[in-house]
Amino acid sequence: MPADSPDKVIDRSAKLVFSFFLSSAGLWLLTAALLAYVAAAKLTDPFFLASYEFLTYGKIKVAQANAFVYGWGGNSIFAVSLWILARLSQAEVRGSVFLVVAGVIWNLAITFGLLGIMDGHMSGHEMLEMPTEVWPAMLISYLIITFLALVIHRSRQVRETIAPQWFILAALLWFPALFLIAWNGLEINPARGTLQTVLSMWYGQSLVWLWLTPVALGAAYYLIPAILGRTIDKYYLAIFGFWCIAALAPWSVVHHLEGGPVPMWIPAVGTVMSIAMVFPIAVASTNFHATAFLDIGKVWDSLPLRFVIFGTLSYTVSSYIGVVFSLPAVAKITQFTIINEFHFNQRVYGFFSMIIFGAVYFALPRITGREIPKAAKSFHFWTSTLGVLMLLLAYLIGGLTHGVLAGQPSLPWSSSVIQSIQPYFLITKFAFIILAFSQFVFVVNVWRVIFPNPFVYFSANNKEASV
Amino acid sequence: MNNLAKFTIGIFFTLGMAWLAFVVGARSQFGDLVPTSEVLDDDGLVPEDAELFPVAISGMAKQGAEEYAALGCVTCHTQQVRRVEAGFDVERGWGKRPSAPRDYVLQEHVLLGNSRIGPDLANVGLRNYSDEWLHQHLFEPQSIFPSSLCPPSPFLYQQIDEPVITDIKIVSNEVTKETRYVRPTVRANRLVAYLQALKQDYELPEVSFVETEDVSVEEEDVVSTDVSTVSVSAPKWLQDQIDTGKEIYMKASPGGGMCFACHQQNGEGLAGQFPPLAGSDWVLGSKERLIKISMYGLMGEIEVNGVKYNNVMAPPGIPPGSLTDDQIANVLTYIRNDWGNSASAVSAEEVATVRASLKGRAPMQMFTSAELTTPIQ
Ligand code: HEC
Ligand code: HEC
Repeated sequence: MPADSPDKVIDRSAKLVFSFFLSSAGLWLLTAALLAYVAAAKLTDPFFLASYEFLTYGKIKVAQANAFVYGWGGNSIFAVSLWILARLSQAEVRGSVFLVVAGVIWNLAITFGLLGIMDGHMSGHEMLEMPTEVWPAMLISYLIITFLALVIHRSRQVRETIAPQWFILAALLWFPALFLIAWNGLEINPARGTLQTVLSMWYGQSLVWLWLTPVALGAAYYLIPAILGRTIDKYYLAIFGFWCIAALAPWSVVHHLEGGPVPMWIPAVGTVMSIAMVFPIAVASTNFHATAFLDIGKVWDSLPLRFVIFGTLSYTVSSYIGVVFSLPAVAKITQFTIINEFHFNQRVYGFFSMIIFGAVYFALPRITGREIPKAAKSFHFWTSTLGVLMLLLAYLIGGLTHGVLAGQPSLPWSSSVIQSIQPYFLITKFAFIILAFSQFVFVVNVWRVIFPNPFVYFSANNKEASV
Repeated sequence: MNNLAKFTIGIFFTLGMAWLAFVVGARSQFGDLVPTSEVLDDDGLVPEDAELFPVAISGMAKQGAEEYAALGCVTCHTQQVRRVEAGFDVERGWGKRPSAPRDYVLQEHVLLGNSRIGPDLANVGLRNYSDEWLHQHLFEPQSIFPSSLCPPSPFLYQQIDEPVITDIKIVSNEVTKETRYVRPTVRANRLVAYLQALKQDYELPEVSFVETEDVSVEEEDVVSTDVSTVSVSAPKWLQDQIDTGKEIYMKASPGGGMCFACHQQNGEGLAGQFPPLAGSDWVLGSKERLIKISMYGLMGEIEVNGVKYNNVMAPPGIPPGSLTDDQIANVLTYIRNDWGNSASAVSAEEVATVRASLKGRAPMQMFTSAELTTPIQ
């Protein structure tokens, strides 16, 4: 066997798990896209599929968010984190079998969880709507995967760690802590009254801030220098940015409770901390964009990087918008409106998913040794961009309209306030169609490379391994 | 940063601080709220014999809360009236006052929600919607508001070709005026009981009603014809009716109804002989039908919650058929509001109306199920 470069060896060790998690992630992405379309269609025509109880709007909406966050988010986090950690540690991925088994359990748990939701066993806790029966399976499989990720990290060649490692490790470790806290406070020792809501909202929002966000930031910290071949500009700020997020984000997420029946200091603390979040946001965006704009031509030419920079720009913009919307004077208008959808989709589509797409397009050819046609990637990029922008603009403008009209008590609710935002629901429906199409292209791109010839996958796989 | 153990401790420390505040701290500050009276005495104590709020909702409504959670109504409806400086909720007439943490301490499912595509429902029980209206709305909101986005739930109803008076009439608000009849399932009844139970119509030491100029709120107050808007006495008149009703239910001497002898004190009846009143779709259903059988009795085969009975209930009362309008109103209000049942009260006027409509009927001529289920035109 010719001596391969160390990276090659590592990539090969990651091939099985990366392919497994990525192809599952792809399926979840399509599931979520389909559910998103159904939910959006129900908002333009309430009679659409109305006679099926398991497809009623409330269930579909929740199933969609869960499929997206745990299915697509979880699996793609596993794929990307394991690979980046292995690359940065210069250590091989070990225990692939356990990883795949754990991954199967994770996916089965979510599948049963979603079926449980549709079958009427939804718990009312934000982002923990899946029936409690599947929680243990999720936690155990997650812990196995995290443990093996830590094993990779522990066997690293260089003792010094860098920003991508901090963010990814922190995200991997925060999730089970959040999950256990929520589990304890909602089911084992349930809090009474609105404290339940404080906790479930804290969990639901932290999931985005402390799980999805750091992984995407970590991936960006890894990919931008790797593709541009230059170091991160003002890298010394990164550590400050990291600890700011760690210290502030868990506090800031509760500002959504402004004015509600909870102890007043809770949303007040949340608001203050949200405003303080401008620091870590500024750090990340300086790091990313100062580096990227040194070589903007190259950013444009490299599709993976184009995805990543779209994501980081989106992160910066959305986070600043989030800060503005947490100010009490603004929250009075925007709270409870479809601006919430704007925030969620901005974060999970515009930021997290775009960076993951970039990471996948960067990693996959290296891992499988097969290129994805540029036109296909480019097509995916433009359809995603179009879909995301359409979606976000509709939710943003629609949300402001919603808020301003709702604030005028003389306007009747249904015939005036909601009627006025109906056109935006129609736009989101089309945006979801475009996104579904775009994600379908992504999944096809990925599957074509992972399973170039589906019927001889295993034999082909063995042959390549010995090449 | 390089030592994994120290790093882990660091990131858990930052998370732990927030956890200490929001979970441990908030819990020790607000976790032990209990119901209290509307006003405290001079020493800040709950006066003796004062009514305590919030009151627990009925068992039926509790089951309704589960349906509400399982159907994801919370994705579009909040259940929280924000403080006046934080939003327009009171002005919109969504509540007489902002919601307080204490309002929720007895709820198993706290469904505050954070999205309002539909209106806030924290006080939907105060909006004087009849059960029938809520059923119509649940079955097909568009039959009431043609452009409503509230999702129809036809799966909670049975479509009926030969309707009886308990069934709900749906007139699709199209030009066609197409009319349908549907029969609520137990789940629909639970959900409606839950919606009716959603109300924050009492004051607490920490929040009082907001004085508003707003007409829409005033109007709402006026519309509710009964005493219930005088919030303090609201449960009282109802409680009086229920208490008197219970006496009649239990009384086995002249002037009583002796219902317990057959339907049992716990309202469960006796399997195969006497049908249950607890959770019964008859009891929670049409008032007119209940009134009729309380005057004239019931015989022949009937179906209660899907179980068949074939027996005779002679005209209730001692002597038979002697219950007055008042007594019937009270005993029916009682059976509709005990053992986990929760349904609107029956008034003596309603009984009088039904009595008038049955003028020609021979005394003691028992109703049959068939007679009560004759299709309405
Ligand atoms: C797609 C969002 C949506 C969902 C999900 C939803 N609703 Fe609604 N709801 C609305 C809208 C919009 C209105 C206002 C128009 C109307 O009254 O029909 C409304 C109105 C209502 C009203 C009338 C309130 C009032 O004060 O007039 C009730 C009661 C109600 N909904 C109950 C429910 C229940 C019960 C569920 C769960 C099965 C539910 N809704 C799910 C959107 C929704
Ligand atoms: C002598 C026994 C007896 C007494 C006393 C009696 N019932 Fe009944 N009740 C029955 C029987 C038997 C049926 C079922 C009749 C049939 O099968 O057609 C019935 C049916 C009913 C039903 C309809 C079915 C259901 O379970 O919901 C209601 C409501 C009801 N009774 C209420 C009352 C009330 C209120 C009183 C007291 C004022 C009362 N009954 C007193 C024997 C009795």
